[in-house]
Amino acid sequence: MRLSSLCHGAFSSTYARAPFQLPTSLAARRALTRSYHTNYPAQNAYVPSTSSGSTVNQDEIAHFSRLSSLWWDEHGEFGQLHKMNPTRVKFIRGKLVESALEDDLNANVDEIRPLKGKAVLDVGCGGGVLSESLARLGGITLGIDASHSNIQIASMHAAADPALRSRTIGHTGGSLEYKHTSAEDLLREHGPNSFDVVCSMEVLEHVNNPRSFLDSCAQLVKPGGYLFLSTIARTPLAYFLTIFMAEDLLRFVAPGTHTYSKYVNPHELEEFFRSYKSSLTGRNWITGNGPISRVQAETRGMMYVPWRGEWVLLDRGSKWAEGCNYLFWVRKPVEA
Amino acid sequence: MLSRVATKYWRGRVSVSTKRHASSVPSERDVVIVGGGPAGLALASSLASSKLVRESLKVTLVEAGDLSKVREWDPPRGTYSNRVSSITNSSHEFLQGTGAWDHVEQGRTQPIEEMEVWDGISDARIHFSAGDAAVEPASQIARLTENLNLQRGLLRHLSQFSEIELADKVKVDSIVQDEQEGGGWPLVHLSDGRVLRTRLLVGADGFNSPVRSFAGIQSYGWAYDTHGVVATLFHAPRNSLQSPNTVAYQRFLPTGPIAFLPLSETASSLVWSTRPPLAAALKALDPAVFAGMVNAAFRLPETSVRYLNNEMLQAHLAGTPLSLAQFHEELEFREKSHMIDSRSALSSVRRPADSGMPPDGAEDYPPLVTSVQPGTVASFPLKFSHADSYIGEGRGARTVLVGDAAHTIHPLAGQGLNLGLADVEALSECIVDALSLGGDIGSYTALTPYARTRYFENHKMLSACDKLHKLYASTAEPVVWARSVGVEVLNELDALKGALMMSAGTTKTRGPPGQVGWELAARGVEGFAKNVDNVRVLGSSIAGVVGAGLRQLWQQNSQGRRL
Ligand SMILES: Cc1cc2nc3c(=O)[nH]c(=O)nc-3n(C[C@H](O)[C@H](O)[C@H](O)COP(=O)(O)OP(=O)(O)OC[C@H]3O[C@@H](n4cnc5c(N)ncnc54)[C@H](O)[C@@H]3O)c2cc1C
Repeated sequence: MRLSSLCHGAFSSTYARAPFQLPTSLAARRALTRSYHTNYPAQNAYVPSTSSGSTVNQDEIAHFSRLSSLWWDEHGEFGQLHKMNPTRVKFIRGKLVESALEDDLNANVDEIRPLKGKAVLDVGCGGGVLSESLARLGGITLGIDASHSNIQIASMHAAADPALRSRTIGHTGGSLEYKHTSAEDLLREHGPNSFDVVCSMEVLEHVNNPRSFLDSCAQLVKPGGYLFLSTIARTPLAYFLTIFMAEDLLRFVAPGTHTYSKYVNPHELEEFFRSYKSSLTGRNWITGNGPISRVQAETRGMMYVPWRGEWVLLDRGSKWAEGCNYLFWVRKPVEA
Repeated sequence: MLSRVATKYWRGRVSVSTKRHASSVPSERDVVIVGGGPAGLALASSLASSKLVRESLKVTLVEAGDLSKVREWDPPRGTYSNRVSSITNSSHEFLQGTGAWDHVEQGRTQPIEEMEVWDGISDARIHFSAGDAAVEPASQIARLTENLNLQRGLLRHLSQFSEIELADKVKVDSIVQDEQEGGGWPLVHLSDGRVLRTRLLVGADGFNSPVRSFAGIQSYGWAYDTHGVVATLFHAPRNSLQSPNTVAYQRFLPTGPIAFLPLSETASSLVWSTRPPLAAALKALDPAVFAGMVNAAFRLPETSVRYLNNEMLQAHLAGTPLSLAQFHEELEFREKSHMIDSRSALSSVRRPADSGMPPDGAEDYPPLVTSVQPGTVASFPLKFSHADSYIGEGRGARTVLVGDAAHTIHPLAGQGLNLGLADVEALSECIVDALSLGGDIGSYTALTPYARTRYFENHKMLSACDKLHKLYASTAEPVVWARSVGVEVLNELDALKGALMMSAGTTKTRGPPGQVGWELAARGVEGFAKNVDNVRVLGSSIAGVVGAGLRQLWQQNSQGRRL
């Protein structure tokens, strides 16, 4: 069993160093490092490009296709990310259905495709593993990443899939587009209140300024819309598994891959949104001082169960919920 | 070019052609099922029954044969196809759930309510009835149906769903992997010139699976030195003093088990596993002699069955097959020498129908066969095989195997088709789950739960049946010795019974079908084989101890499950 996998999920493409598992070949490692030259948030690091891939040359295609096979090799570097993805989607789907019914018990909720017709943003989309699922579930999806390579990889992968190639996906009404940009720039471009759902998975632990990153993501959410995050808690267990074991002891990943101080604990996210307002006059995203109501925000732990070969969503309030990998959901007040 | 690629992959491993077929622009599919046998059709039908699938996936089934022959199959009343299967209650429930069972002609199916299984050497015998089901009393142990009745039902069910494309009389000529960047999807080249590019390629293409070859999946196994002789048998109806023809009979002879499976009051199906030369001789027999051989094989002591087999074989090899007169003479002589009264249940001499009281113990043996339906005597080589994996990887990515493409099993427990149906049920569940989470149904991640659910389950069943076959077919001296004195045979039959009865329950109420039972049966048989030697050394006085643990285990298990 890979220890690192226990506690470590996916790596956002936007993240600056090697992924958590040692790439299999030197060439692959070089390719990866080359592509991860931008850190997050990296407003200055990328050169805004036209979003069509028309400027890409043949050499680049070869280069990206090599990287693409790394991102999309389910047995490779990002294997855990692929395994984790259904669990993340399950959480997203569950919260959407639950909240829709919360708003109106008699609502005709599409339980299978609750994203149908919704504007969805995936911040730090990487190779597009989550974005593709969101689009298939009916989301009008935009995946953004600060790494130009990742956007090329994601676009190329989607182009091979006829269900994603067409702008409108079958009966689901979903669509998928990618753009090389950061959350901050997108906010400047689109203005606030633009998306029904904003997701940013396994990104927070790699950003330099989580407060401003969260602020940008939060602003992009429409009133009444949702923000989904996933990251790693700053706990002794997480330190032990992701840094001490994986980096220092076993050298699964290059030392320095993780910075313990960047890990964010669930209650820190909760605190952030208790005091966070979208505007001067608006109300806080999380109100009251007691236990948080499930209609405002929720934290769920996620754990890899090796003998089942899959990630599972831990029960609400499980002791382990805050132990390591977790999902976080918060809803923007309607009267923001 | 087409044929070159084809020969390449028929020979074995993947052929990933680097050349493209200029002829045809691939049409895009989400699921291509290769094979319109019971497994392929059941998968198409099960997928069709899901609204989500119908709305989101383009599904095509490709079958080399002519499906209209199956669709229009309409046999004269009272005649039956020789390929029949016992559908377990779990399979039955699955088919009811998808809605396909409603299209299976019920009048052509027959419940099995009881089973008589006995050892050919010791005559140790065990009786099963549906009421013994380890979990809950079921009304039947299984239901017998012709494969064609099931396949026709599946096609009728499918005809309601225009979304599923059926391409028959079309062969898969070759399969290659596409070269699109970020792609690597299978390109399926059909004999009509069409090319299908598919997200998921399902191999339901039987034992010689071209899909398995394309995926580069190795298969582990061997041919048994055994053929299964099948035939449709006619007999007089049971008389009013007897139970209806709902009892299945199986006798374990050293050459292999012979099974008698009820199809109606006056017809039953034969599956006689035996050595290939004997199978060839049986097939060449005059039908009346064939019927007599079947009757004798269920009744005569093993030594005489062996003797008759030998006479038949010698005559066959000499080019002068046994005549009816010769056969009767031999039979009478044999019965006399065993002091079998011609009016007893053990006699194969035909009695006029309805001659009053049936002889004592008549229900221990199948009804006397009076004739064989013309053209139904056939034989199939039996093999054991299990694919190393059910999901293709790398160059064989986006492929998955179900049914006989993934595994073949000895028919002694009537499980082959049922395993295939269980595969299909698990795979379609897996596909629907992945769809509902926005997954890519061709991805390894999406397909993993299917392999996890089925691989080990199938393996247990496959090895249990394999071990049972080997044990009973064993001519190893200690094993035969042990069986001849009846040592432990009952225990081992008990294990078999446990296994069968557990798989006779219904799935939904009890979790995975019959798995514990098969594990026990396999362990029991293994234990038996290991123990016979010791038993012989220690003497029969303590023989009863060996294997008793197993019986206890099974009983505990069934009690536990009853709670
Ligand atoms: C003697 C005997 C008795 C049996 N008794 C029982 C029983 O009592 N109970 C039970 O459950 N099972 C029984 N079985 C097993 C059962 O018959 C099989 O398990 C079952 O038929 C397998 O179904 P399948 O759909 O997987 O494969 P198949 O029935 O082999 O179907 C494969 C299909 O794929 C098609 N195909 C192959 N290659 C291509 C190609 N290149 N292009 C297009 N099409 C192609 C073929 O035409 C065929 O129609 C028995 C088997 C034998 C031999």
